[in-house]
Amino acid sequence: MDTPILLILILGSTALIIPAINLILKREKQGKAAAVISIISLSLSLLLIIYQSVLTPLDLKPSSSLLFRNDLMGLFFAFSVIIVSLFVTIASLDYMKNQPNESVYYSLILFTSLGMSLLAFSVDLILIAVSWELMSIPTYILTGFKKQDSKSNEAAIKYFIMGSLSTGAILYGISLVYGMTGTTNLFRIVEESGRIANDFYPMGILAMLLLVAGFGMKMSIVPFHAWIPDTYEGAPTTISALLSAGTKKSAFVIAIRVFVIALPVLQLDWQLTFAILSLLSMTFGNIAALTQKKITRMLAYSSIAQAGYMLIGLTVALKSDFGLTGVLFHVFTHAIMQTGAFLVAAVVAKNIGSVDLDSYKGLGSRMPFTSFTFIFILLALAGVPPLNGFWSKLVLFTGAIDGGFTWLAIAGLLNSAFSVGYYAWIIKRMYLDEGEITKVNESSIFKVVLISITIIIVITGIFPGPIYEFARLAVANLN
Amino acid sequence: MIPILSIMIFVPIIAAILVYFIGRYSIKGARIFALIVSTIILLFALYSYARVLESGAGQDILFEEGPWDWIPTFSGVDYHLGIDGLSAPLILVSAFLTVLVVLGSWELIQTRQGLYYALILLFAGSVIGVFTSLNLLLFYVFWEIVLIPMFFLIGIWGGSRRKYASMKFLLFTYVGSIIMLLGFIILYIFAAPTFDIKDLSIVQIPFWVQTIVSIATFIGFGVKLPVVPFHTWLPDAHVEAPAPISVLLAGVLLKMGGYGFIRVNVTLLPEASAEYGWIFIIIGIFTMFYGALVALIQKDLKRMIALTSINHMGFVLLGIFTLNLYGISGAIFQMFNHAVAIGLLFMLSGYIHEQTGTREIPLLKGLKDKIPRTSTLLVLASMAGMGVPIFASFLSEYMVILGAIYYDIRLAVSMLIPAITVGYFLWMLRRTVMSPVENKESNHLHDIKTFSLIHLTLYLIPLVILLIMPWLILNMTDQFAESLISLIGR
Repeated sequence: MDTPILLILILGSTALIIPAINLILKREKQGKAAAVISIISLSLSLLLIIYQSVLTPLDLKPSSSLLFRNDLMGLFFAFSVIIVSLFVTIASLDYMKNQPNESVYYSLILFTSLGMSLLAFSVDLILIAVSWELMSIPTYILTGFKKQDSKSNEAAIKYFIMGSLSTGAILYGISLVYGMTGTTNLFRIVEESGRIANDFYPMGILAMLLLVAGFGMKMSIVPFHAWIPDTYEGAPTTISALLSAGTKKSAFVIAIRVFVIALPVLQLDWQLTFAILSLLSMTFGNIAALTQKKITRMLAYSSIAQAGYMLIGLTVALKSDFGLTGVLFHVFTHAIMQTGAFLVAAVVAKNIGSVDLDSYKGLGSRMPFTSFTFIFILLALAGVPPLNGFWSKLVLFTGAIDGGFTWLAIAGLLNSAFSVGYYAWIIKRMYLDEGEITKVNESSIFKVVLISITIIIVITGIFPGPIYEFARLAVANLN
Repeated sequence: MIPILSIMIFVPIIAAILVYFIGRYSIKGARIFALIVSTIILLFALYSYARVLESGAGQDILFEEGPWDWIPTFSGVDYHLGIDGLSAPLILVSAFLTVLVVLGSWELIQTRQGLYYALILLFAGSVIGVFTSLNLLLFYVFWEIVLIPMFFLIGIWGGSRRKYASMKFLLFTYVGSIIMLLGFIILYIFAAPTFDIKDLSIVQIPFWVQTIVSIATFIGFGVKLPVVPFHTWLPDAHVEAPAPISVLLAGVLLKMGGYGFIRVNVTLLPEASAEYGWIFIIIGIFTMFYGALVALIQKDLKRMIALTSINHMGFVLLGIFTLNLYGISGAIFQMFNHAVAIGLLFMLSGYIHEQTGTREIPLLKGLKDKIPRTSTLLVLASMAGMGVPIFASFLSEYMVILGAIYYDIRLAVSMLIPAITVGYFLWMLRRTVMSPVENKESNHLHDIKTFSLIHLTLYLIPLVILLIMPWLILNMTDQFAESLISLIGR
């Protein structure tokens, strides 16, 4: 059976059932029960995806319906985002303990995970729009989940307005594409493209720009990034992890499908557009990150910069085999690293009560375990070998040079060198600076999550082969 | 066959984790465990060195492991190790210094020792990885791992400006190595789709690629060596680091730069190195003069020694790019001697600081009477630093200068450098060791213990042995250099 349909069954039904727990259980037990059910459901989905991609990659039906495509690309992205959701859910078990409406929170996470995974498999513009909304709407609510907190509310409203705009832009772009080609299926668009008259060329450009803007808002690329720092700062920090490591990645799979499969036929020069956006995102993200005083904002800007690295791969997607492979690889590694970074920020925020970077001074002796794992996460984000972030960046930059964008590779490498400044600065604060010395309790749930993330970072860093191969095959079977 | 090289790399790295946990229960246990591990590595290093020497073919790669695919579908990314006449001496000296550093830290390091020895072992393992890698990407991976323990070692156990020094160290070297990586990727795309050094050395690489890559790698290796425009991290890092770590910095880390120049610039990019060698030579001469002249005016003993390092590494750069037998062989020899000599000098500066509470040369007076054992060692170590012909450093500097004169008679100007070096060392000795004691009441200084005396004397042994029997190293480096030169002349 199709993976996406099974995922709808598993994730969708659990998401619908969970709020009913409120009717059965007492208030104290609701949250834990909901979390456990979510974790089970997400783990099942993960196992399903791993089963599909490891045991039956060759038996996959290329296209079982016109809406979905049950392929390795979809599996790869679904794999990445469901791992993120799983970690976020487990961490929330501690982070959201005794907050109001816990079961709804978990239900919403499941809905957004479902939206993200469906997006990964969609090959029809209408389904893309629907999954996009299924992914986005729960996150609007989740962002404003701390309803007494004005920052959280501000974040949610800002996010909602920007999100609606982006949906509007996407829908408009889709309607233009439909108008030109008479179909919404991506593969059909390729077939129909021969009939497009030359007069439609300006309309094609408009459609492309609208789609770039719409997806770019979620992909967190400059200049569609303005909501990112505020939202990541205001949202519950676990949700920031979900946003930057999960939903952002789904925007990339759609960008790959739409731009690489369908839009080349319109013969638009989107590569240069992406190259410029990539350069802007990397440079702006890194410079802004260096000046931040709050960890969540710093991570937000760093996530913008990382989106810039991924765009390098999209830029050379048609010219070099390394391009898209690098995007996928970096999507996976960045999803893991960014989840880890935000979850560290979450555990520190919960236990110390501050997201200021200054509160990280001397953290190495206050929260030894968290700080130790944070070293690996930060070094991986900076791209220090042999951690996973190094390999994906290497593939991206190799792709850029291979695809004739040497200047972009140089810019990326210099940015990468520049970024080590602020990542290492946090390590300096944690281990070299003196701060308070009171020990802080580190909950075992967070310990489990962080050590798992660290192990994934190190293992995929030392043995990058399997995940690289997964990404490469996914790209090879794209069409 | 036993994978000796992998053992030398990964045993210390795994032992590092163990040492940390042992250190939580018993500090003494951690020390002894670290000593045992580093001694085992030294024995392995001696064995592999002896095998290279015995084979009589320094140009051949021995103990080759791999190439084994690392990422099967990313062609050219292999796990590939091996040693030859270039890497064997450097591996030996790093393993040797690691043992001595572990011994030397027993007295000088008193805080968080479990972590300290763990980082030292991590450093030791990854440095051997740098010297044995035959794949540029593997080389880069180890090259970067080396930075991390060093960052913490300077930052946690360093002096008063340790945070500044460690951040500066990290940023300088990281930026340098990123640019080096860019060169490697360009090589991969435009020369041959492989990172394997053996494969790349067979390929005829276009001249323009060679030129671009040599600029990129020059920055990467030049920051480490260091050459003069990129050297500013070095005095800070060396001065702030605790003495044993300065030994590792100067004795081992700087050698990575020299090794890289020979392994990548000369071996893989021979035409560009021959064409533009004169630029590197001028930079080398400039580095030597800069190091020597700036050392002359230093008041801090340790800073003076750090600048001596720059001065000596200029010899290495000069020797390498003369591209003749004396130059290259002498440069490798010089790296070996410098590592040992400068290591002893740094350790002594640490002990002097420990005993007198200062490193300011004008404040150190009458050491000959106050701490005779340390003073004797300081005089001997200075002689090694100056290149007095009772130690092997004389031979290596002589070889490099000879090579330079073969290259171009005007390079005889480099003969001035040993003269300046002798000048500032003697002046330093005159002010510290030979000067009269001013105030008698501060005579209660403790001299080093016999234990320290012994392990500090160990530094001098290789220098004496190699003066008497230079063939122990030159037999392999000469062959290596000869094969390299024939490659360039091709």
